[in-house]
Amino acid sequence: MRRVISTLIVLVLALVMTTSLMATGGSEMAEGEITLDFPTFWVGQDSKSGPIASLLETFNAMHEGEIRVLIEPNPSTDGYRDKLNTQLASGRAPDLFVFAPDPTTFQYYETDILMDFTDDLAGSWGDVFSGGQIAGATRNGRTKSVPYEVSIIPIWYNSDLFDQAGIDSFPVDLAEFQVAATALKDAGIVPTSQMTGGSNAWTSMLWFSHAAASLGGPGVWDLPLSDPIFTQAAEVLRSMYLDGNTTRDAVGGDAGVSGGHYMAGDTAMFINGPWYIGRIRGDAPEVHAATMLASIPQVGEYSGHQLGGPLSNLGAANTTSAARRDAVVTWMQFMTEPANVRMMSESSGALFGIKYELGADADPLQQEFVRVASEASFLVDHFASAYTVDVVAEFGQALAEMALGEFTPQEFIQALIDKDNE
Amino acid sequence: MIVRSGQRWLWLVLFLAPAMVLFTMYFVYPLGFVFVTSTLEWNGVSAAKFVGLQNYIDNFGSRSFQFSIRNNFIWLGSLAVVQIALAALVAMILARQPRGWRFLRTVYFLPNVISQVAIAMMWAALYNAEYGAINQFLELLGLEHLTHNWLGEIGTALPSILIQQVFYIGYFMIIIMASTMSIPESYYQAAQIDGANVLQQELYITLPMIRSILVTSMTLAAAYGLRHFEATFLLTDGGPAHRTSVLGIQLYKMTSALDYGHANAVGGTLVVLGLIVITLIRSTLGRRVAADEAKQ
Repeated sequence: MRRVISTLIVLVLALVMTTSLMATGGSEMAEGEITLDFPTFWVGQDSKSGPIASLLETFNAMHEGEIRVLIEPNPSTDGYRDKLNTQLASGRAPDLFVFAPDPTTFQYYETDILMDFTDDLAGSWGDVFSGGQIAGATRNGRTKSVPYEVSIIPIWYNSDLFDQAGIDSFPVDLAEFQVAATALKDAGIVPTSQMTGGSNAWTSMLWFSHAAASLGGPGVWDLPLSDPIFTQAAEVLRSMYLDGNTTRDAVGGDAGVSGGHYMAGDTAMFINGPWYIGRIRGDAPEVHAATMLASIPQVGEYSGHQLGGPLSNLGAANTTSAARRDAVVTWMQFMTEPANVRMMSESSGALFGIKYELGADADPLQQEFVRVASEASFLVDHFASAYTVDVVAEFGQALAEMALGEFTPQEFIQALIDKDNE
Repeated sequence: MIVRSGQRWLWLVLFLAPAMVLFTMYFVYPLGFVFVTSTLEWNGVSAAKFVGLQNYIDNFGSRSFQFSIRNNFIWLGSLAVVQIALAALVAMILARQPRGWRFLRTVYFLPNVISQVAIAMMWAALYNAEYGAINQFLELLGLEHLTHNWLGEIGTALPSILIQQVFYIGYFMIIIMASTMSIPESYYQAAQIDGANVLQQELYITLPMIRSILVTSMTLAAAYGLRHFEATFLLTDGGPAHRTSVLGIQLYKMTSALDYGHANAVGGTLVVLGLIVITLIRSTLGRRVAADEAKQ
């Protein structure tokens, strides 16, 4: 019995010593440089990977020995979002992170796990943001994220392929669109890139959003899904999947399939935001040079609009440490400095909700984005910004069902309504 | 040496305690958490509300859940029956040590050491409707009418994923082969003297001798079928139109939508289904094998 007790004592002592050694290591780290982990999908092939790495290097050099920001690469956007959601739901936030502001993610504002920037943004820092940006990131008077990237999402078209098909201007209504699609198909060109896969059927969801906005106007997302305009928009989307108007792999295809066909010059029309400029410029320079932007052919009462709104906000974990809080705010202010934003914007093609001027030598396609945004009759969010993640996920599944002839447009919309009601 | 019973109990507790603590922390507690939260309306952020069995009722009424549960049973049957039958067949052939059997054993096992992600990416490329090797090969043979959007059509998506998984028999083949090779050679020699051919030897010696390992393999394969996730997630994400979805994908999507009540109701359903299926396998096939072995 005595031997058992002495063995237990030795085990407990060993455990205590190991724990205290670990604790000592932790406090030493805390007393020195503040390290902030920054999990992000702005890595790998993302057009912002280069500029963000460059900004990080500058920031870490400026604050050597005081603050160190470390990127944790998460190349998959969907995977990153899921990981972030899981982490936030477990009550922990990464030190720094990026998130898409939508009805699902704004639920985190109800907790105290996010750092509150309301007071910081009320000072001179708030002046660097474009009008309405801070209000867009504020819920119940609290701004628990920093507005950052914005989206302008027009229709992209390959003018070289249009020329090949003998089309001299982008169609202005559905009748012209059908004529153009036929001409393209006759020339052996697939008219549009579409996809039902990914977490939100991105490209097709944007076509639907454009059509719905043309039918419902600036307040389209205030209308209930049971409004007939959504069935009409679904009918337009369905026509994109019929008669060879898209590629054969569109059903089940993801963003790689949709964007890949446009970059390969297989399809003449595509939809995406300016962040894709950097990618297409590097991977398909000829298509980049031939790309022009337009509004969707008029489907309903409204025309000349664009999809646009907040795309990515910067968030941070709440902390009781004043030093860590200062470090986070310092990083956020650095990220939103107009000169840094301009560098990021010109390198990647992305646009930001911060007051900055693009240089005269900025990418012509990016300048085209700024032009279409300024000329738009109105800007409106897309479907994925207006609905929760489960409804958006159902969009792709129900779309596949409609594209494969299993659902009518009414049934497609009903599937979304059912999901929204759950 | 006589060990006093009190001392013996103390040692037993001492040795079992770490495992029990870990088991409780990482299995009992999460399992309880899943069942408790499956009765709540909870988004992980706001206060939870008790809703009883409503989440289970909602799930069973949902079309995507119904497809998922059907597909899980298809996976279960494909893995527990087809895959194990194939694995047993190949194991029995290789156990006879034909020429090149070591090489073939390695080849069959190889997919088990390669990342599922890499394998899925390879199959996604093979199945692609526009550029995929399968369609190109069919076109080369003049069989354009047989080409498909393999992962994007309702009729072909699920079989396409099943095929690429069911043929990866290496893991069970190794287990069954080890059991087959441990059968004494003298049994086969005696059968040969009695005039039994190869098929009769396999049917009347090998199969009865490896029955218990087959039941174990089927139980494991059934469990894999129920918890199937990776290949479907990577290849179709449950689409098109939920036709390839499984319960694991439903759970994942509900978690992504912060719908933890319904997600954990899916988890609870999976646990109960697993218990039922495994109990059924063990109480039917397992009990029969045990009875036969007792007679011998």
